[in-house]
Amino acid sequence: MEKGEVLINHYGPLSYEEIGFLLNKMTSLLERYNFGITIRKKVYSAMVESLENIYKHQDVIKGSNNYQPKFSLILEKDKVDLTCSNSLLKVKIGPLKERLEKVNQLDKAGLKEFYKEVILSGNVTQKGGAGLGIINIAKVTENKLEFTFDDIDEQYTYFTLRIKVSLQNQNN
Amino acid sequence: MEPLYIEPSEFTPRVFFDPENSVFEISGFSRPENTVGFYKPLIKWLEDYEDNVLAKNTNFNKSNLVLNLKLTYFNSASSKFLMDILMVFMKFHSKGNAVEINWYYDEDDDEIFESGEEISEMINFPFNFIPITPNS
Repeated sequence: MEKGEVLINHYGPLSYEEIGFLLNKMTSLLERYNFGITIRKKVYSAMVESLENIYKHQDVIKGSNNYQPKFSLILEKDKVDLTCSNSLLKVKIGPLKERLEKVNQLDKAGLKEFYKEVILSGNVTQKGGAGLGIINIAKVTENKLEFTFDDIDEQYTYFTLRIKVSLQNQNN
Repeated sequence: MEPLYIEPSEFTPRVFFDPENSVFEISGFSRPENTVGFYKPLIKWLEDYEDNVLAKNTNFNKSNLVLNLKLTYFNSASSKFLMDILMVFMKFHSKGNAVEINWYYDEDDDEIFESGEEISEMINFPFNFIPITPNS
């Protein structure tokens, strides 16, 4: 397969119900492709965390319909590729980049330790985020996360996160 | 004390805390829209249970508490609150009550099994791992 098969392509506002709809769509598509429970759960977890990150942390640009949330799920020969983008205030780039770089430096055991450290720290925001989403994505997928911050204007950036779930070495 | 029962929904688990039999169960799927709003009342109920039931048990033999976790999926925000619930049970344990934690998992589901192992390790308390075979 040279070019991946696009299973899901979403562009536009992302409500909690819409996230549920996209998850159900993904579940039935992966079942149709006969992927086992391990792959389906990995994709499911990565998709929940990335879409909920958008839902909870995006900064909507007032008065503009551009740079809406974007999500795609692409099936390739050896992996499932999840890409999600959302607008974000530039002041948030620093801490987010720091967390992404940190999880990319850690191996499986290191991620487990980091997860433990954050979960036991007791910091849950009012939005219900516990700062665990990105660590969880890295832990579950066992692949490095790719990310970019593209300039929108002085105040906003368009954040893109690319997640890979490997299909190799998986019996199911 | 009245039991706590919460009907499951597409995104939230079934909860049944039964003070009469000292059995506490959370089962199903957990991805609430309002994680704080869903889980805080559970923790509050357990705190009241401690004050109204456990603290009033003046018998030499303390209670035997059974926590059954039968989750099929939980997001990371839910995991934070599951941890909080487990810490409450650890507090009950430290006060002399016997605590048994049963972690049920679909025998094909490595993710949920490993999550249980990790959580057990994190709180430094052994779980009983109970596989559920399909159609059982």
